[in-house]
Amino acid sequence: MLSSATTRVAETRTEARGCALMLQGVGHSFGATVALESIDLAVARGELIALLGPSGCGKTTLLQIIAGFLQPSRGAVSFDGVRIDRTPANRRRIGMVFQNYALFPHLTVAENVAYGLRARKSPGAMVKQRVAEMLARVQMTSFGDRFPRQLSGGQQQRVALARALAIDPVLVLLDEPFSALDKNLRLDMQIEIKSLLKSCGVTSIMVTHDQEEALSMADRIVVLNKGRIEQIDTPDALYDAPASLFVNGFIGHANFLKGRTSAQPGTIALDAGCALALSGTEPPPAHRDVMVSIRPENLALVSDAQPRSIAVTIRVVMPLGAFSVIDCVTASGEAIKVSQSRAAWSGRPGDAAWLVIQDISKVHVFEATTASPSIARA
Amino acid sequence: MQRDLSDRIYSGVVGAIAAASVLLLLAPTLVVLIISLTSGMTLKFPPPSWSARWYVELFRSPELLTPALTSLQVALWTTLFSAVLGSAAALALARNRSRIARLLDALFMSPMVLPAMAFSLSLLLVFNVIGIRLSFATLVLGHTIVCVPFVIRMVGAAVQQLDPVLVTCSLSLGASRWYTFRRITLPLIRRGIVAGGLVAFLSSFDNVPVSLFLADARTEVLPIKLWAILEGSLDVRVAAVSGVIVVLTLIGLVCAETLGGLSRSFGKSSS
Repeated sequence: MLSSATTRVAETRTEARGCALMLQGVGHSFGATVALESIDLAVARGELIALLGPSGCGKTTLLQIIAGFLQPSRGAVSFDGVRIDRTPANRRRIGMVFQNYALFPHLTVAENVAYGLRARKSPGAMVKQRVAEMLARVQMTSFGDRFPRQLSGGQQQRVALARALAIDPVLVLLDEPFSALDKNLRLDMQIEIKSLLKSCGVTSIMVTHDQEEALSMADRIVVLNKGRIEQIDTPDALYDAPASLFVNGFIGHANFLKGRTSAQPGTIALDAGCALALSGTEPPPAHRDVMVSIRPENLALVSDAQPRSIAVTIRVVMPLGAFSVIDCVTASGEAIKVSQSRAAWSGRPGDAAWLVIQDISKVHVFEATTASPSIARA
Repeated sequence: MQRDLSDRIYSGVVGAIAAASVLLLLAPTLVVLIISLTSGMTLKFPPPSWSARWYVELFRSPELLTPALTSLQVALWTTLFSAVLGSAAALALARNRSRIARLLDALFMSPMVLPAMAFSLSLLLVFNVIGIRLSFATLVLGHTIVCVPFVIRMVGAAVQQLDPVLVTCSLSLGASRWYTFRRITLPLIRRGIVAGGLVAFLSSFDNVPVSLFLADARTEVLPIKLWAILEGSLDVRVAAVSGVIVVLTLIGLVCAETLGGLSRSFGKSSS
């Protein structure tokens, strides 16, 4: 399943530092409310993992458990095979980057970076050298004497990361690391931090609710929903082969169309008025209500009817530079978005048009009625 | 036009009230300072001519210097105890929403609300019942109880502003609880402690009701002594004492500002 991810991890293992993290049946309850059900997760050395999910999915609770700020109600957490769920947070040697960076306002940048080393009573000369090394690493050397107030958001984040890395952590945790940054700055910082973490080779876990952030940063993404793991996979695999309706909807944009499987195996009659012939190895059973997911870029808008096309009416055209997003409505009243280059025909609001599916193998079908939809690759 | 006129009337009224308030606050201080510099023998305003003779006179009056020294000692001990106890209470209670915490907070604040006379009399009766004789220590204890609320309020405000994530962050960097308290919590609430301590000091220094009930016969504090002198005669030395206190208070405020404020505690602003 994860062959590409595991080989990539194996390649970097020789230089990777930090620990392998293992969660076994980790669960947590606040009173009668179950925040986390039973989480099983194995993180390899040097891997960058994103915990992704909507608010209230349990990702922050899980991060707190790993950091040691919260004792799990059930299950075991171990580093390199040693159980640590009873170890207090200040003995775990985990470098944490907090959401708003949590820089100490009364200490200078250099004192902030030195804090963890001083707390461990490292010798003065060593502290000085390590601080200089860390500030150089995040390109903040000339800012050592400044106070956090005098820094921009991106600079504060660099300092927070330098402070976390200074203690030579076995694991780095990042809590919503980019949420406090301007949108323009965000991508630059993502690139910078990803390359920094990778060059240190330290095992890292970040928490985010932003799927783009998770896709661009992580080696593997853990998608959480309502305290359960929906899927653990590489960004590409999550996008191309979502294991559930939830993952499909949460990662990237998707159009969901209602349909029903017909007696003939592998064919689906869409409510929108089109029959799909799936070529999957595991076609869903006959006569079931299903949800069909088609990505906006897997559709093409054409001006005349073609076999197996879906008749729609154009509602809104949004020119977004390189490509346009066209919002259409089907005869059955379902909304459907198409993303295509401006050069291709995009019509005008009110025009009748037809949608052609580009690649039928990238269409996913989920059974609509079952609680945990089983995936059927088309 | 209409609006201009009404705006002007509004500014005029508000300005007049502000000016009157400032005058009322400043006048007594100015008058006492002016009178203290008289060359005459009475508290007459305006003074017939100027002289610093009453300030010199102060230092030749052991009957004033001794109570002043006592008051200073009481105030210093009171400040120390209030700062320690009040800060501890504020740290424990300021962010705690539980019912017990709210109840304790109300209890610790009660000396501020209760009439000081009633409170002092009650404390005197308690000492009597459990057989503790009045002394310097009972006086300091009484002062501390009425001064602690100031510290609790001011440190409490500082604790409210302290982001609890900073403490979590310190622990995650490997610091112990003690180290975190010393390097993070204490420096960030220092302003509140200094401000609370200063108010506690000043309110102890001029406290009358508690001293009236809880001082033993040998312990004489300055405000009570001053009152006793004024009852007998309109002694200009009283004005001179007030002058000294006003000046010392100003110095104290400046010191507190430098100690707890500006310096480095929150960094220079980026501007």
